[in-house]
Amino acid sequence: MGVLEIRDLHKSFGGTKVINGFSLEVTELTLCCLVGPNGAGKTTTMDLITGRQKPTSGTITLRGDDITALSEHEIAQRGIGRKFQVPAVFRELSVRQNFEVAYSREVNPFRNMLRRRPPGFSEKLDEVVSLTGLKDRLDVEAGFLSHGETQWLEIGMVLMQNPAILLLDEPVAGMTEAEIEKTIVFLNRLKRTNTLIVVEHDMGFVRQIADVVTVMHMGAFLAQGKLSEIEADPRVREVYLGEPEV
Amino acid sequence: MTTKQNLYHSKPAQWAVYGLFFACIALIPTFVTDGFLLNQFAVYGIYGMLALSISLCWGFGGILNLGQGIAFGLAAYGMAMTMQMQSQDPDSNPIPPFMLNNSLEHLPWFWQPFWSTGGGILLALVVPTLFYVVFGTLMFRARVSGPFFAIMSLAMLSAFATLILDMQPYTNGANGLSPPAPLSLFGTDIDPYGKAAYWIVCGGLVAVTVGAKLLTQSKFGLVVQALRGDPERVRFLGYNVALYETCIYAISGFIAAVAGCLWVMLIQYVSPAQLDTTFSIGMVIWAGIGGRLSLLGAILGAFLIQGGQSYLGDQFLATWLLMLGAFFIVVVRFLPKGLAGLLEKILGHAARQPAKHARPEPAGLPAAGE
Repeated sequence: MGVLEIRDLHKSFGGTKVINGFSLEVTELTLCCLVGPNGAGKTTTMDLITGRQKPTSGTITLRGDDITALSEHEIAQRGIGRKFQVPAVFRELSVRQNFEVAYSREVNPFRNMLRRRPPGFSEKLDEVVSLTGLKDRLDVEAGFLSHGETQWLEIGMVLMQNPAILLLDEPVAGMTEAEIEKTIVFLNRLKRTNTLIVVEHDMGFVRQIADVVTVMHMGAFLAQGKLSEIEADPRVREVYLGEPEV
Repeated sequence: MTTKQNLYHSKPAQWAVYGLFFACIALIPTFVTDGFLLNQFAVYGIYGMLALSISLCWGFGGILNLGQGIAFGLAAYGMAMTMQMQSQDPDSNPIPPFMLNNSLEHLPWFWQPFWSTGGGILLALVVPTLFYVVFGTLMFRARVSGPFFAIMSLAMLSAFATLILDMQPYTNGANGLSPPAPLSLFGTDIDPYGKAAYWIVCGGLVAVTVGAKLLTQSKFGLVVQALRGDPERVRFLGYNVALYETCIYAISGFIAAVAGCLWVMLIQYVSPAQLDTTFSIGMVIWAGIGGRLSLLGAILGAFLIQGGQSYLGDQFLATWLLMLGAFFIVVVRFLPKGLAGLLEKILGHAARQPAKHARPEPAGLPAAGE
């Protein structure tokens, strides 16, 4: 059974059907890449999973619990973390403070008024800092980081949250070759402990990280399997890879 | 290369400056013996509290609140009602004179709790805070923010001012309430021109400032600063953003309510003018000029502007408003973080300066042992 299950999801904006009967099952401790041409509904699917948008119909369950109607913060508390397409970090705060906010084990405002650093914070910070390589940048204001560092900071923030499932929307957008290499190693290590869903365009990148590839087309499920199977699928070639390759 | 930390951001230095500030305001009664002047300084303390409350919700929380007069005004009315009832007698003279002039025969039900001094003051603090909780919940749950919230708060302020004006028999309308005697606490009258009144305001200012400072240094304060920049991100980290916004808004309202109570203790008067929009916008200007991201900066901004108004305003009359306006434009354009931001910049330069001098030092010479 999948840790995250999406059943017959529909979403329309006005009269336009953006998600059209999409279903997906994500197995625990795998990395699932969500691919598809522009407008296939990948980011909308992310929005629906994390509660940013509400589906017109259909259900989303996390470990058997229906989370479809929950709000963003409740879904996040249940262990779904999300990295945005355009990196979203707190630019006026230092890198350390960004991590402090992201360490959201305690979300009650009244209890948070009485203390600064909840137990377990420094251990988690050390762990995340060594994973993301931001050790020397902790006291820098996040607005001064380079684009690549900002991407890493946001990934680190999602890790601080300690989520069971990570949703990454185009994590390597705007990264240099070296940074992409680093991300590949990092994601392959991460999938031993977390379940990941990655939206990505770059097939070269997908090849190096994906356990399972799910193809979306026109808001619906098109195909699923290993990348080699997907690439051999004539329907996928038609809609996504363009013309059949020789 | 090691850059020294900007002294402005050093916590011990910040607390030292706070301590110095508290010491200064505590020393004022030793120099100032004139009651009227002491009373005026105490009133500045009230303005400082209001600017601090704006700094909390606008500076730290990003909630531009143009209606802080709601909490200030409602609390002021609550306090004035309490003091008014202290001069009434339940048996011989239960109804305030203005009500008799408006031909009321019974004390209205909502005036009844103000027979009790403790209950009255409690209501003066609790009612505005609760209103902020309800109004904040309604607004922030619906994700009303930025200029839209500012407009809503301004509209709500005007609504309260109109309501109080309209309820002439119960509130004395535009004339307001002027309790005939000073506040009496535990059997002693607190002379608004005496040292006791000054000490109460001074203690209140110290208490809310320390409380607010500790709050901004807590995890709660950090989350509030984070949601100022990107509420969406905070939400996806698992925090209930609307709840956090309501909390900081209500805390800021509570501080304004404390200010309202103390103000009436000093002035012995309240009218719908305390809920005037220009007064509430003035609070935002104090915080903006002093530095909305600095609690102490906001307080000093209030002192500066109101002090300027009292002394220069008398000299220049209408020109003073033009000068204030020009000053505000200069600050907004060149110092978005206010005068506190200017200090931050200067200290930042000072922190970099010694590092520059250190570089040309001859590398081969051992410094030790000389």
